[in-house]
Amino acid sequence: MTDPHPDPDDDQLERSIRQIGADLASAFPSSARHPLRSLDARAMDFASADQELKAALFRFVDVTPACRSLDDLARHLREFLREVPEAPPPLAAAMRIADVKAARPAVGAAAAAGVRHMAHRFIIGETPASALGVLSDLWHHGVASSVDLLGEATVTQPEADRYAARCDEALRELARAEAGWPSRDVLERDSIGAIPRTNVSVKISALTPLLRPDAPELGRRDAAERLRPLLRRADALGAHIHIDMESLDSREAVFDLVLDVFSEEEFARGPSAGMVLQAYLRDSPEQLERILAWAAESGRTPPLSVRLVKGAYWDHELVQATQHGWPAPVFEVKAECDRNFEALTRRLLEARPAVRIAVASHNLRSVAHAIAYNRMIGGEDRDLELQVLRGLGDQLQDALASRGFRVRTYCPVGDLVAGMAYLVRRLLENTSNESFLHEQARGTSLDVLLAAP
Amino acid sequence: MSTLPAFANEPVLELRRAPVRAQLQDAMDALSPKLPLRVPVMIGSGERTGAELLSTDPGEPGRVVAVSTRATEDDVAAAVQEAERGLRTWRALPAAKRASALIRAAAWLRERRLEVAALEVRECAKPWPEADGDVCEAIDFLEYYARSAIELDAGPDLLQVPGERNDMHYAPRGVAAVISPWNFPLAIPCGMTSAALVTGNAVVLKPAEQSPGCAHVLVRALRAGGVPASAISLVAGEGDVGAALVAHPSVHTIAFTGSLPVGLEITAAAGTVAPGQNHIKRVVSELGGKNCVIVDSDADLDDAVPAIVSSAFVYAGQKCSAAARVLVHDAIADQLIERVAGAARVLVVGQADELATDVPPVIERSAQERVNRYAALAREQGRIVARVEAVPDRGWFCPPTVAIELPRDSPVLNEEIFGPLLAIDRVRDVEDACDIVDGLPYALTGGLFARDPATVRYVRQRTPVGNLYVNRGITGAMVGRQPFGGNRLSGTGSKAGGPDYLRQFVEPHVVTENTMRHGLVV
Repeated sequence: MTDPHPDPDDDQLERSIRQIGADLASAFPSSARHPLRSLDARAMDFASADQELKAALFRFVDVTPACRSLDDLARHLREFLREVPEAPPPLAAAMRIADVKAARPAVGAAAAAGVRHMAHRFIIGETPASALGVLSDLWHHGVASSVDLLGEATVTQPEADRYAARCDEALRELARAEAGWPSRDVLERDSIGAIPRTNVSVKISALTPLLRPDAPELGRRDAAERLRPLLRRADALGAHIHIDMESLDSREAVFDLVLDVFSEEEFARGPSAGMVLQAYLRDSPEQLERILAWAAESGRTPPLSVRLVKGAYWDHELVQATQHGWPAPVFEVKAECDRNFEALTRRLLEARPAVRIAVASHNLRSVAHAIAYNRMIGGEDRDLELQVLRGLGDQLQDALASRGFRVRTYCPVGDLVAGMAYLVRRLLENTSNESFLHEQARGTSLDVLLAAP
Repeated sequence: MSTLPAFANEPVLELRRAPVRAQLQDAMDALSPKLPLRVPVMIGSGERTGAELLSTDPGEPGRVVAVSTRATEDDVAAAVQEAERGLRTWRALPAAKRASALIRAAAWLRERRLEVAALEVRECAKPWPEADGDVCEAIDFLEYYARSAIELDAGPDLLQVPGERNDMHYAPRGVAAVISPWNFPLAIPCGMTSAALVTGNAVVLKPAEQSPGCAHVLVRALRAGGVPASAISLVAGEGDVGAALVAHPSVHTIAFTGSLPVGLEITAAAGTVAPGQNHIKRVVSELGGKNCVIVDSDADLDDAVPAIVSSAFVYAGQKCSAAARVLVHDAIADQLIERVAGAARVLVVGQADELATDVPPVIERSAQERVNRYAALAREQGRIVARVEAVPDRGWFCPPTVAIELPRDSPVLNEEIFGPLLAIDRVRDVEDACDIVDGLPYALTGGLFARDPATVRYVRQRTPVGNLYVNRGITGAMVGRQPFGGNRLSGTGSKAGGPDYLRQFVEPHVVTENTMRHGLVV
């Protein structure tokens, strides 16, 4: 974009973004292989290029935990690949082998191992206890974490109770273990005050079976009943609770729930808590204004932390809107979304200290922009948190940590069955031709990667 | 003739947005002072009022929604005679003219869609999203059949050789009797009526006695759109009115949607040729179902459970397409039963005008009694794993119920219940499930949750059902996307909202002209 009369501030900001971006890029661990390369199923490479193959492989990954035997698994693989018009040679070979009954268990075992390997890049353990090793390693490398408990969809009350119990257990176990970690000032303090080590992300849709897009009050009330005890627990342990955001169908319920519950007298002073703003939604600027107006009015301390993300349900939102004849709720052009992300970043940074801000992006430009703008308006680096996803943002995480930024890695915990929906969304992101990671892997030049959207 | 833009479904309300939801109360407030509606017998431009037929709110039976005049046998005779008269001018209009009347009727409904939906909420206890969907579907039928009629009117291309000119075109069959149900109180009568009209037939509409108010709206829409009064008459009443209409020797086509027993009576009655009747009546029928959802061992229960529960219980199971029976693979049956039962237990039973309501009342006392009888039988012959007993005490509410372990010959597993009662059955495998589906007299809709493409191919090829839904809920067919209708005893295989539907209201004519005269091709 060329502007005939560039604003000197803009000019300065752009220079600063390039500088910070280049510095971060130089800090990327050179030995680390890119996630695309390291997904040892070479299939992922093919998948990025071939939509039909991608669909076949994702359907296979998705069904893996539901298969009853290795034979069953191999049959599924063969049937999915059969629908790909021209399978690349290695896969064609696999299909031929899978046709031989005696060889099927071997194919099944290899495929299952591949899927498990993939899953382990993104999911750090089956239980909070088994995840402690990874979390502690991260901490020792200067990286904070937020634990997300993966689960099957909640459709019954006992399922909601079980999820709440798992969250409670995670809070207690993590707090106990993390108390023994060495102190890390950059991860534990900003200019407002202390930042909890223990950080758990919670999904409202898992806390109630009553979430209905047409009647958000019902699910909101039911989820609040289970959320309050978790908030009390977090407050007692000095832990942080972050309320995740999912698809637009539940947005209103989640949004209202967060603002209502944190307005309650009991939670006016704690625990440390946060919510999510999805920049791909066209109405996200209005949503942010609502959060800021609430923050100004409530004066809650510690201030609500706002995690700014692009949003992970882009395809879902577009398909759903198209099927119903509704206007697309999300930006359909990537550059528009990126520009909105930056506008929301600036608005959030300017709104401090009424809110805390966490910029969660793997886009080097978006991250560099947040850092540069924060500095430009006189903010301290420690007042901007940066967040990445385990398995996708590992390099960026290391680069940010090495430059002394507070970076927090979102770490899903759960078994393979529960994790499949999450895994497929991450793989989609990883193989999307428009994704920053994909661009980066293709060797797009740093200048292009850091250019204004 | 201006060409119409390509067909697109009327978007349903985006009720997940608060400002959209807020409009609903306004619409109800606007409707309330107009109740009860007055529905006369409408024959041509004449209106007659007389002995009353009351339609009431199933959730508040003391509330009268419409006061209709009961049609008599004389009314039926007069209406058919008027239709014969109206037919002459209506059928002579170009197809495009008739189509544009439908398009204008659609616009008339679109302008009033919230108020019409509010009427459905009251008269039939259709919850808001369902009522809105029904109005949209009615609009879709008008828009879709308008376009289909223009296409059909062009006629097919025939083989032409020198010396002759061959032409095939479709002419209206004559007077159509439309006998419609209450469960889609606007869309179904609208689909049948508009299909008959747009192809040049004249219609006498006999709506269900539970929903004449909604049918009245339809007739007003069509007339406002430009369908002449003589081409569409309204005779509200009960079974006797329908029977008189079916028996009338001047009726050519009978379009019926309703239960199997009534459908068979109509078919039998229509087969009798009265003295002086020079045609064979055609019956287009959409009847019952006993719709099964097959769940294979590789199904994703996170998807299957909510889809099954909503297919079974939305609108209290009173859709022809609703899920009545689940056939689940043994390997995951325990899990599925536990989750479906748990999901059924949190269903909210309540009034149709509340958005939080999952399960509204059933249509009338006799329906409530019927569903309760089957539920008692299910308890006796099998085991109840979920039953929501907390239901309002006024109104025709039935507790949503999930039953298992029923003997395979149980009436609960084999008869159409048309209420919020779901039975779950274990099967050895998908083949076993297909055998069960094959053994049922009905073949309307079916569902399959499976992820192996080979399984999907197998079921597709074996199933007799008219509409098979794979890895999704089994209700909510959309005009132009899921042409809808059943096979076997579920109906005559007509597909409402599909490319073949209009052909049932026309008869083909072929004209061959010799174009050679003394060796000269003219």
